Amino acid sequence: MNVTFPHMGHLDIILRALFRGLGLEVSPPPPVTKRTLELGAQYAPETVCLPFKLTLGNFIESLEQGAQTIITCGGVGPCRLGYYAEVQKGILRELGYHFEMIAIEPDIAHVFGNLRRLAARRTWPEIYAAFKLAGAKMEAIDTVEAKVRYLRPRVAQKRAADRIWEQFLREVDQAECRQALKACQAKAERELDALDRRETPEPLKIGIVGEIYVMLEPFVNQQLDLRLGEMGVEVHKAMSLTEYVRVHLLRNKQYLRGYREILKLAEPFLAHYVGGHGIKSIGCTIDMRHRGLDGIIQVFPFTCMPEVIAKNILPTVAASVNMPVLSLAFDEQSGEAGMMTRVEAFIDLLYFRRMRQCR
Amino acid sequence: MAAVVGLPRGLLYYYYGAIWERFFTCLGAEVLVSGETTKATLDRGDILDEVCLPLKIFCGHVAEIKHQVDYLFVPRIVSLGKNEYNCPKIIGLPDLLRSAFDQLPPLIDVHVSVRQSRSDEWKAAAGSGQALGAGRLRSLYAWQKARRDAVLNPVSPGNHAACVRVALIGHPYILHDRQASLRVIDRLRSLGVAVITADMVPKKTAEQAAAILPKSLYWTYCRHLVGSALALMDAPQAIDGLLFMTSFSCGPDSLIAEIVKQHAKKRELPFMILSIDEHTAEAGMVTRLEAFTDMLARLVHR
Repeated sequence: MNVTFPHMGHLDIILRALFRGLGLEVSPPPPVTKRTLELGAQYAPETVCLPFKLTLGNFIESLEQGAQTIITCGGVGPCRLGYYAEVQKGILRELGYHFEMIAIEPDIAHVFGNLRRLAARRTWPEIYAAFKLAGAKMEAIDTVEAKVRYLRPRVAQKRAADRIWEQFLREVDQAECRQALKACQAKAERELDALDRRETPEPLKIGIVGEIYVMLEPFVNQQLDLRLGEMGVEVHKAMSLTEYVRVHLLRNKQYLRGYREILKLAEPFLAHYVGGHGIKSIGCTIDMRHRGLDGIIQVFPFTCMPEVIAKNILPTVAASVNMPVLSLAFDEQSGEAGMMTRVEAFIDLLYFRRMRQCR
Repeated sequence: MAAVVGLPRGLLYYYYGAIWERFFTCLGAEVLVSGETTKATLDRGDILDEVCLPLKIFCGHVAEIKHQVDYLFVPRIVSLGKNEYNCPKIIGLPDLLRSAFDQLPPLIDVHVSVRQSRSDEWKAAAGSGQALGAGRLRSLYAWQKARRDAVLNPVSPGNHAACVRVALIGHPYILHDRQASLRVIDRLRSLGVAVITADMVPKKTAEQAAAILPKSLYWTYCRHLVGSALALMDAPQAIDGLLFMTSFSCGPDSLIAEIVKQHAKKRELPFMILSIDEHTAEAGMVTRLEAFTDMLARLVHR
C-alpha cells in the first residue's frame, strides 16, 4: 500500500518514520508550493479555510505521483477540520481519482482497528517501536527548534543557526533508530552552543498564538518565525506538535494540567471551548504576559471560526492585561509586503513601549 | 414592576423565539423583542470583525434594545444532541457580546450542552427562571408549558399553480430576515416559483435523508439543511432546482454547500449558491434570481 498524508510544518519527517515503521510504502506529497495552493483553491469551496485548500492541493499532487491511500485526520467538531476529509473525498472523486482515504477519528477503537489493518504484517511490539521512534523524532525537532528560535536574534552570523537547523532536519529524517537520532540531536545542540554570539541588549520577546496549521506551516505564515528572528526578536509559540500530541491525543497528565491552567486564565473572557484553539489563543495571551513577553501575534486562516471569535475578544484581553496584540489572517491572497509592513510597525511599537517603560 | 427581558431578533430566535417569549411571559416577566431588521440594524451591528452577517445583525438587535431591558436572554447553546455541536460563533455568543459592548444589562447566558447531559435543556430553563427570581418548579412548569403551547409559524410553499419548484436551502435566520435575505422568498414567488425551504421538511424526513452521509454531520442545524436538501431532491414531487443561500464567511455552510452541490450534480439538478453580506446589492441578486428561474422554466418546458 502506497500511503500519503497532508503536510504541516515538519510533520512529514515524523509521519514518514511512523509509516515506514508500520511497514508501509510512503510517498509524501511534494513540498508545498504555489501550485499546491492554486490547485487547492481551484477545486475547494470558495470560502473554506486555507488549510482545507492546501491539504486538498497536497492530495492532488500526491495522487498525480501515484499515491493510492490518503491518511488524514477526522474530528468531532465544532471546527470545520473534522469534516474536511469527507468533503475532500467527494471533490477528489469528482475529479476522477481512484484512491482510498482513511480519516483517523479521535477514538481509541477506531485508531487500533485502522492500525491493525494498515500494519497487518507487524506485531504489536514492532508497532510500538514505530510510534516510539516517530515520537522521539517529533520531540527532538521541537527541542532543537526552540533552541534555534532562542539563538536567531543572538548569534553574530546571520543564518548560521538556520544552516545547522536545516542539516539537523535532514539527519533526523534519515535516522533509523533512536540512538542515531540522539547522536544527531546532540551534535546539532553542540554546534548551536558553539556559535558566536553578538553583544545585544535583551531581544524583544514575541509570542505567537492562533491556529496550529498556520502557526506551524512556514509556506502559509510566510516564514514568520525566521523573519522575526532575523529582525532580532525571540519567538515563543503557543503550540508545538509535541505539546499538541501530549495534550489532545495522549492526554498526558502534566501537559493537561498546564492546558487547564491556560483555560482558567481565559475563562473571564471566553468561558467555553469554541473549537480549534480559540480559547487557547486567549489563555496563552494572558499567560505570556505573566511570563514577561513583550507582545503577541495571533495568526489564523481567514474565516477560521474559533480564531475569529478569539480575534474579536482579544482587544478586550489586551486592554485588560496591558499586552499589545497583532492579529494576522492568512489566505491565498495574502501578500508578503502587507504582512511585513504590519509586523515591522508592530515591532517598532514594542520597542517604543519598552523604551518608555525604561525611562 | 415586572422585570423586562430582552430577546434580540436574530440567530436562534428564528428557531425558538416563540417558546422563549412564552416561557418568560409565563414567569411573569415582560418580554421585549427587537424589531424587524433594518438598514439601521446593520449599521449598529457592524462592530465585530470578520464575522458572518447574521452575527452582525444579532449585535445590531442587541444595540437596539439593550438600554430598554433589565436582562438580555442570550443562552449559550453548545449542543443539542449526542455527538452534535452548534457553530462556534453561537457557542461563543455571550462572550463576544460582552467584549463588543461596553454597557450591557445582565445577560441570562445559561448553558445548554446536550452532548454532556441530556437534561441540560431543563437545567437551563431552571437557571433562566432563577435569574428572574422564580423557583425551580415554577420555571420547569413554565418551560414545559411554553414548549407545548408555542405555535411555530406554519409555512407553506405558496403558489401551488407555479410551474417551477425550487428548493431554497439556508438558515432560517437568513431566509426569514427580510433585510438579510433581500426578501428572496417573496421575489422568487413573484417570479412564479414555488419555494420550498428546509423548515417545511419534517425533522424526521431530513434526519433519515442525512443518514446516507458516510460521516454524520456534527452541526445540528446544518445536518437538517443537508438532510432537507437530499430529501427534496429525491421526493416524489420533484423539484426543478436548488438555491443555497448563505452568508459570506459562514464556516459550516462553506462545507455543506459543497456537499449539497455534489449531490445535486449527481442528479443533474441545477444548483446555485447565493452568498450575501452587508454589501449585497438588490439589483445583482434580482438578476441572478431571474436568470436562474428563466433557465429552470426553459428546462421544464422542454
